Amino acid sequence: MEQYFIDIAAWPVSRAINESSWIFPLVQAFHLVSLGFLAGSILMVDLRLLGKGFSKQPTARVARDARPWLIGSLFAMVVTGVPQFMSLATKEYDSPYFRWKMLLLLIALIFTFTVRKLVAYAPDGRFGGGISKLVALVSIGLWTSVAINGRLIGFFS
Amino acid sequence: MFDLALGDYFAPLQNLANYVSELPTSVQLRESQYVMPWVFVLHVVSMCMFAGTILMMDLRLLGVGHMQTPFSQVQRRLFPWQMAAMLFSSMTGLALVWGNPLNYVVNIIFWVKMLAMLVAGLNALAFHYITEYTLVDWDAGQTPPAAAKLAGALSIFLWANVIVSGRLIPYALTWFRS
Repeated sequence: MEQYFIDIAAWPVSRAINESSWIFPLVQAFHLVSLGFLAGSILMVDLRLLGKGFSKQPTARVARDARPWLIGSLFAMVVTGVPQFMSLATKEYDSPYFRWKMLLLLIALIFTFTVRKLVAYAPDGRFGGGISKLVALVSIGLWTSVAINGRLIGFFS
Repeated sequence: MFDLALGDYFAPLQNLANYVSELPTSVQLRESQYVMPWVFVLHVVSMCMFAGTILMMDLRLLGVGHMQTPFSQVQRRLFPWQMAAMLFSSMTGLALVWGNPLNYVVNIIFWVKMLAMLVAGLNALAFHYITEYTLVDWDAGQTPPAAAKLAGALSIFLWANVIVSGRLIPYALTWFRS
């Protein structure tokens, strides 16, 4: 496994990213802009599930409106995240925060596209307010922990 | 390396930064091994909350997102979260500057970020005091008029600028001589 990370860090593209003084910073910066869009498209639905707004709209309608922005920003996160990983592959292999981030990201993605999707797209009233709120809080908690671990990769590795 | 000679232009502020940097709270923040990284983390989390709720409202203004909800509802429901997040990120941001004032006062990218925030605030005020009066005509269903779209596009551009320049602040040291 470790060898695989060493190989990735040695790819010419990875080394080019590392050697440039501006590619990595700019990719990081746009990773954060994408994070803003991602957080927004997640919060729109979670705030609705929490009963904190848009209560005149069915949850499913809010979720359908947010969906292209959720998918789009996830795509932008991957596009700006992969080059960062490539150039720091060996460092990230050793970072507990990178490992936590990837694990939490996987859980957050699975949760978002199974449980949360089921609850958000169900007709209002099928699931009780308690379940909706719990799903929203788990969603916010999972995605926040992904972001926190992402930021921590840069501090303690 | 570009030489900006910012130190000359910001001499009065530099005195203030010197003063703050010697205060016990500033020294403690700077020397704490764990507090500063966690303030950064909280600054990013508050940014997610702020940018997220602002950008979604902007998409609605542009007429490209959340079109099944009237603009007034999107705005009214997101407003308290935007304000809470603004307070949260201002406090964490202030703590970051408080702990390292000398790093920021001569940092050109930091000032670009401050300027972008100022202009973004003016853009929001202009929308609130001018364009919003036409809201009844396009609140639900219809595509917003050009003035509203402009406010949304400017807001996305300016806040993206704030995020990008925020992330680039530490790199100013390697790119510019100040």
